[in-house]
Amino acid sequence: MIKNMSLPPPSAGRELANPPSDGISNLRFSNTSDHLLVSSWDKRVRLYDVSTNSLKGEFLHGGAVLDCCFHDDSSGFSVGSDNKVRRIVFNVGKEDVLGMHEKPVRCVEYSYAAGQVITGSWDKTVKCWDPRGASGPERTQVGTYLQPERVYSLSLVGNRLVVATAGRHVNIYDLRNMSQPEQRRESSLKYQTRCVRSYPNGTGYALSSVEGRVAMEFFDLSEAAQAKNYGTFATGGCDGFVNIWDGNNKKRLYQYSKYPSSIAALSFSRDGQLLAVASSYTFEEGEKSHEPEAIFVRNVNEIEVKPKPKAYPNPAA
Amino acid sequence: MASVKKDPMLQVESTCGSLLYELQIIWDEVGETETDRDKMLLELERECLEVYRRKVDQANRCRAQLRQAIADAQAQLAAICSALGERPVHMRQSDQSVGSLKQELGTILPELEEMQKRQTERRSQFMVVLEEIESITNDIKGQGEHAQSKPLVDETDLSMRKLEELHCHLQALQKEKSDRVETIRKHLCTLYSHCSVLGMDFNEVVNKVNSTLTDPEGPRSLSDHTIKNLDAAVQKLRKVKIQRMQKLQDLATTMLELWNLMDTPIEEQQEYQHITCNIAASEHEITQANSLSEDFIKYVEAEVARLDEVKASKMKELVLKKRSELEDICRKTHMLPVSDSAIDQTIVAIESGIVDATLVLEHLEQHISKIKEEALSRKEILEKVEKWLSACDEESWLEEYNRDDNRYNAGRGAHLTLKRAEKARNLVNKLPGMVEALASKTIVWEQEKGIEFLYDGIRLLSMLEEYNLLRQEREEEHRRQRDHKKLQGQLIAEQEALYGSKPSPSKPLGGKKAPRMSTGGAATNRRLSLGAGMHQTPKPNKKADQRQIDGALSTGRRGLDVAGLPSRKQSMNPCEQLQSPLVRKPFSPLPTTVVASKANIATPQQLLPTPKSNAVNEISAFATPVKDNNSVRNLEEEKLMMMQTPKNVAAMIPIPSTPATISVPMQTAATPFNNARLLPEKVEVVEYSFEERRLAFMLQSESLIHV
Repeated sequence: MIKNMSLPPPSAGRELANPPSDGISNLRFSNTSDHLLVSSWDKRVRLYDVSTNSLKGEFLHGGAVLDCCFHDDSSGFSVGSDNKVRRIVFNVGKEDVLGMHEKPVRCVEYSYAAGQVITGSWDKTVKCWDPRGASGPERTQVGTYLQPERVYSLSLVGNRLVVATAGRHVNIYDLRNMSQPEQRRESSLKYQTRCVRSYPNGTGYALSSVEGRVAMEFFDLSEAAQAKNYGTFATGGCDGFVNIWDGNNKKRLYQYSKYPSSIAALSFSRDGQLLAVASSYTFEEGEKSHEPEAIFVRNVNEIEVKPKPKAYPNPAA
Repeated sequence: MASVKKDPMLQVESTCGSLLYELQIIWDEVGETETDRDKMLLELERECLEVYRRKVDQANRCRAQLRQAIADAQAQLAAICSALGERPVHMRQSDQSVGSLKQELGTILPELEEMQKRQTERRSQFMVVLEEIESITNDIKGQGEHAQSKPLVDETDLSMRKLEELHCHLQALQKEKSDRVETIRKHLCTLYSHCSVLGMDFNEVVNKVNSTLTDPEGPRSLSDHTIKNLDAAVQKLRKVKIQRMQKLQDLATTMLELWNLMDTPIEEQQEYQHITCNIAASEHEITQANSLSEDFIKYVEAEVARLDEVKASKMKELVLKKRSELEDICRKTHMLPVSDSAIDQTIVAIESGIVDATLVLEHLEQHISKIKEEALSRKEILEKVEKWLSACDEESWLEEYNRDDNRYNAGRGAHLTLKRAEKARNLVNKLPGMVEALASKTIVWEQEKGIEFLYDGIRLLSMLEEYNLLRQEREEEHRRQRDHKKLQGQLIAEQEALYGSKPSPSKPLGGKKAPRMSTGGAATNRRLSLGAGMHQTPKPNKKADQRQIDGALSTGRRGLDVAGLPSRKQSMNPCEQLQSPLVRKPFSPLPTTVVASKANIATPQQLLPTPKSNAVNEISAFATPVKDNNSVRNLEEEKLMMMQTPKNVAAMIPIPSTPATISVPMQTAATPFNNARLLPEKVEVVEYSFEERRLAFMLQSESLIHV
């Protein structure tokens, strides 16, 4: 672990009040404010205002909520094990069902480019929904796309959608033409895919596996087009640590102090100043007693995330 | 005047008379009347009477005083005598007439004086005694210095008897005091002795009881309280002494036991002789200074602890030694060793004192003797196995030797190899019989023991079976080769007949020799030595073998087989060997002809994407796929393929190439496959994500609640 001499010892961050009472499946910062949307296995979606550390809204669903995302500051989407895709409106406290899958829905994203909600489910399909459509499941569904296996993770950037499924398949779609994948790939990692996230600059995506490795991939396969700028990114593992990596140098820049439980989810705020960390047991060792769920929000110091210039020896080594 | 020497009274009378005569003369002269003369004579008589009376009174008073004085003196004397209980020396009898008062007084007064003197003396004697009594009482009571008030003397009893009493009392007190002093002295002595033995500060201890006891100058407290406390202190210290003594004796006992256990040399033991000699001593026998002090006891404790540690480490050593003995035996007799983790945990337990090493040792000993017994029973068969394995070695050496075309060239040591080859041939001939005998012996052994005979974890009979199968296959192969050669010869002859020339004979594939696998001691190598020949040269019909190998193989072998799989997979069938004589390196690109001629490929066996195959080699080494226009890919087929996905294992998934792009090597692989082939044989191992498992668990527990 890097000992940064000039800064005070790192703390875990500010702990949010009223955390969920069962595992946290995901958390997201809003794009427009410091609101945090948290989905949990206790069947609830919660909206927190991080700056005042207060719970702004709570929605109870029929089953464990497996993912959530913002639409704008007034509404968001949530999906879960009751197979439903919901829109939730925060201020009013109301929700409506956009549609259903045949099996639990694992991921949800909202594409601003296409104006659609994209969901991935264990029924091996990815579905697109138009939230503006009149209520009634059939009308809002825009399309359904069969995947090779159960969908475990998805990520959007620009017009691209990356879908990671069981069996280590990766499908890359162009949202403008969903009839078939733009690329079909296989994860270069040997173990089950855990999570996929696209780079904000849209040049590629990062894949992580249950082994604890991350693979960095690019959409454009020609060597020339690959500027090979990986940037810095954060990863959280079941060991309770959050690491900040420098992709270019393939080095770890920083490691935050150990959190009480596995890192279930991470989210940077819109300006990158805050990092929300969900410390919640992710069932990697089956049923066992574990620390209670907690959400920490910490400030991100620039020095932690800035890649170190090559001229100096990297203390992380 | 007539000087008459007579009675004074007469003298007076004469004087009075003359005075009267004179008076009469006067009066006559004067001429006083008779009345006046009578009056004056009366007056004169009266005055004279008064004078007489005064004198008489005076004398009376005097007499009274005297009487009083006598009475007083008598009273005083009586009082003193009663107080003293004595009489004056010259005591007159009370009824004795003493004559005149003055005489009496004269007698009494000296007596009185004497008695008074005696009284004073007596009183002072009393004072002395009483003072002393007071003093000693004070000493005893322990009140220390305080204002000495004069003790009160009882004036009413100053008798000697009383004095005697007081003297006795005084003596008693003095005795008591001296008794107390003695007691205290004795206690202090004992205390001193205890303190010395226990290594405590005597003065400090005594001070705590009573500070006066340590003051060499001042008077010591002799009070009951002090003595009680002192006594209590002595008892307490005695208890402490006994306690420590017992502790020390326990420690000494432990020490002796440990010395006994570890055969400690006598020099080491001598150092602690002074402790162990006291092992059965009783309390009063221990008198040496500091022999029971806290420091000393700690010192002994430390030594015992050290000995304990030595014992523990010796135990540990012993345990480790025994364990390696056990492992040794297992290794020599090719039995699977005991699980290491169990013993490691035990060792940790010993170190932390949880488990008694002696028990573990016993257990290990038992285990060892059991294993030895088993080893003994295995001896015969093992010898035969060794012979068989070395024969196998020779067999494969012979194979290779036979392939070497240069073998008949005379070179250095050529005669040795010739000899060896002959011996090897003999041995090979005996092999079947050897295997047969070994198998039957093993069966008998297994029947007797009721368990399988395992050689390094694998059933010996399976190994033998496998060997037999391989042998058969090899013989078939040889036969086929011979047939083929014959055929070849015929073809050439025909060609010659047609064209009059012989084409250059194709180099046999055996030209590329793979390095011989070493036939070192390890059993795994041995097992492969037979198969090694098969691996290195991509002979045809390996696929058939492979399938059978799958059936009979043990896990250990499988891994190595797998490594060879790809090479075999891409190997060519007999027909093609002629056409493309080069041996294809594993993982190199497939020539298109292979794919195109897949119809020629006899059996589907070569294309097994075995799920069990851990592609420990990187997937990146896979062949780039070729655009296969023939393949019709539909999702259903893909689905079917995907169902075979093993759990958490990188599999060689035959994903068809995407039409739009050329796949990067590491990302895709394409092998043609046969649907029907896959399904029946493969074990369906489905992977699940943590969330799927968690949901299943949650639903299960919810349903249990609702039931």
